[in-house]
Amino acid sequence: MMNPLALLLTLSSILFTLGLFAVLTRRNAILILVGIELMLNSANINFIAFWRYGPVDVDATGPLFLLFSIAIAAAEAAVGLAIILMVFRHTRSTDLNKLDSLHG
Amino acid sequence: MIAILILAPLILLAALGAVWKARPVHAALLLALALALNAMLYLAMGADFIGLVQFMVYVGAVAVLIVFSLLITRPGDEKAELDRRPGSVVTGLACTLPLLVSLCFMISRLPEIGADAHPFSGFSIEELGLTLYSTHAPAVIAVGVMLTAVMIGAALFARDIGGKSKPPSE
Repeated sequence: MMNPLALLLTLSSILFTLGLFAVLTRRNAILILVGIELMLNSANINFIAFWRYGPVDVDATGPLFLLFSIAIAAAEAAVGLAIILMVFRHTRSTDLNKLDSLHG
Repeated sequence: MIAILILAPLILLAALGAVWKARPVHAALLLALALALNAMLYLAMGADFIGLVQFMVYVGAVAVLIVFSLLITRPGDEKAELDRRPGSVVTGLACTLPLLVSLCFMISRLPEIGADAHPFSGFSIEELGLTLYSTHAPAVIAVGVMLTAVMIGAALFARDIGGKSKPPSE
């Protein structure tokens, strides 16, 4: 039977892969952001997994890192969505395939 | 351990739905579900405070923000998302599957660390706060400055300066 650390790392790997798959295949900019959120979340699982089941008992390092990570993820989502809204105002679309005005 | 075994497949199913669902609103709601289940996972692992923060920030703020953005930017985009080309799926699988296999291979090579490798001491919120505002005070200030800059930047990006935006097509 898998130990909990390996199980959580596997979970986070699959989540990361799913997020990357969404980033590569989606065309809607907001849904690409959904994929990025999944990838960030998978990294967060690793912080807690190593803190809880890792070989070294360190105080609250995992949760501390996770707090910073959550703050940065929230900031990234806010800026990303603001940029997408701005693009939508100008092009009436969030389909990234149509945003080629800088293509040259 | 039992909680992880129960929650992990549910998180994966919700995340799979978020990635695969054609309708953007469904995908966003499934992302919210995956994040909420993740918060429950943290609670089950003994990180109560982090679970609550995850629930409030990710589910309460980020997921709701995404749903509202989808509602604002809805016209015409659902159709574009529905006809996802098969070629992109193949490319996505070709890029992500080798990554997943290599990650799983590395995890299988991890040294055996049992659940009782060390006694779990946990942490109190008081201890977390003391550590944050003593050892990690510069990082807290940096994050505060970053969040302020992000708030101002997002407000500047999102506002319609002088009504220059393109009118709706219909």
